[in-house]
Amino acid sequence: MTLDFLTADAAAKALFVLYFLAILVGGIMAVAAKSLVKAMLGLIKTLFGVSGMYLLMQAPFVALMQLLIYVGAVSVLIFFAIMLTRGEEEGRPAMGKKILAVLAAAAPAARVGGLLLRHAPMPAGTPVEISLQALGQLLLTDYVLAFEAISLVLFVAMAGAVVLGFERRLSK
Amino acid sequence: MMALADLQIPGALVRLVVALAALAAFVGVNGMLLVYLERKVAGHIQRRPGPFEVGPHGILQAVADALKLVGKQLVTPNGADWLLFWGAPVVSFMPVFLLFLPIEFGPGLYGLDVNLGLLLILAFAGLNVVALCMAGWGSNNKWALLGAARAVAQSVAYEIPLLLAVLAIAAMAGTLHLGEIVAKQGSWPWQWNVALQPVAFFIYFVCSVAETNRAPFDLPEAESELTAGFHTEYPGMGFGLFFLAEYAEMIVVSAVGATLFLGGWKGPLVDGVWWFLFKIYAWLLVMMWIRWTYPRVRFDQILNLCWKWLIPLALLNLLATFVALAVV
Repeated sequence: MTLDFLTADAAAKALFVLYFLAILVGGIMAVAAKSLVKAMLGLIKTLFGVSGMYLLMQAPFVALMQLLIYVGAVSVLIFFAIMLTRGEEEGRPAMGKKILAVLAAAAPAARVGGLLLRHAPMPAGTPVEISLQALGQLLLTDYVLAFEAISLVLFVAMAGAVVLGFERRLSK
Repeated sequence: MMALADLQIPGALVRLVVALAALAAFVGVNGMLLVYLERKVAGHIQRRPGPFEVGPHGILQAVADALKLVGKQLVTPNGADWLLFWGAPVVSFMPVFLLFLPIEFGPGLYGLDVNLGLLLILAFAGLNVVALCMAGWGSNNKWALLGAARAVAQSVAYEIPLLLAVLAIAAMAGTLHLGEIVAKQGSWPWQWNVALQPVAFFIYFVCSVAETNRAPFDLPEAESELTAGFHTEYPGMGFGLFFLAEYAEMIVVSAVGATLFLGGWKGPLVDGVWWFLFKIYAWLLVMMWIRWTYPRVRFDQILNLCWKWLIPLALLNLLATFVALAVV
């Protein structure tokens, strides 16, 4: 039996559609779900879709890190926050608020989308997987400034969280 | 992607399908075996024979239990969220097969040859806590919700020292490919990573017990205070799937531990898959021994142990590893 129809190109296109749908459906679920936990599940679905996109771009390290950090840690912490703030169930938002929310979401989408449509990046051929060693080398040589800036941002966020935690404790 | 175009896709695909079928059998058989073993070990530790009625020495007890679970009516509790409630056991069990794929059971005996095997396992193991959250929230039950809250705090905390301990080994081996990590170790115990990284081994072991929610760290289910924690409301195979996933995850953590620290399938005299299975079962028996020996710790104790002791210890160990790597 030959599997001629199963070319890499067709497989990649099918997977792209699959991941795209996961992102889209997850995003709609995250915004439209009445229950916050279901919204979080939508977010997780979106994160899986994005991770799949990274896989298509031959960046398995980024894809797996996405799952490890966002699904395994960040979403779970969001769930924790939902649990701790339970009981403040708000009614459906008013119509005006909904329209404003749609506008706020559409503005950056239109701006970025317009830019992308006008200056579409040329496809640079089949992506090549970069080895983990090369990735590490680049992070500590060519991109060391960005790398250090990110660690600074994370450090400030962490210190801020600790300060907030202490304030809450002192006020009790 | 171009290299995969012609005949290689079916080749890799066949390997994957065969591996998945073999792993399904492996998980099922070992799950049954572990249930029996757990009850026997518990029995003998507590000076009683354990299950004895079904078959000689109760050897068919697990089969009887499985039939009973399958035969039970599936009841959804009042006010429970159907999607979350029934989605949770599936989300808990589904990634299990993925976790086994990159593990090298013997020379060339693996499901998927992936450079980032270790990362793959760590990434998909995180889905289990999502499943616990869904179960705890969807059950509409206070015990279940408390169990989920504990599961979240515990697993997020213990993931950090676990990752740091694993990172020390990965840095030493210079790879995340499980097969290559095994290849870098020798056949004799003093050539294994545990001889070079005893602190990382200790941290990994404690975290593996905590991440699989086993006593003395079984706070998410804690039957004496929370009935059964996150799976209080689950009938029949809903509970069965959680149970099977827990045992499968125990096998995964022992298999990864044996790969990282105990030389994988390598052993004195004759290398091979038997050494790997022997190490996995030795690891599992120690986990059972601990479960039936020590009482459950309090929740603040378990978190303090992680944040105040294990994480600083793991960071120091990592620093020492890097210094040693730079000097040598």
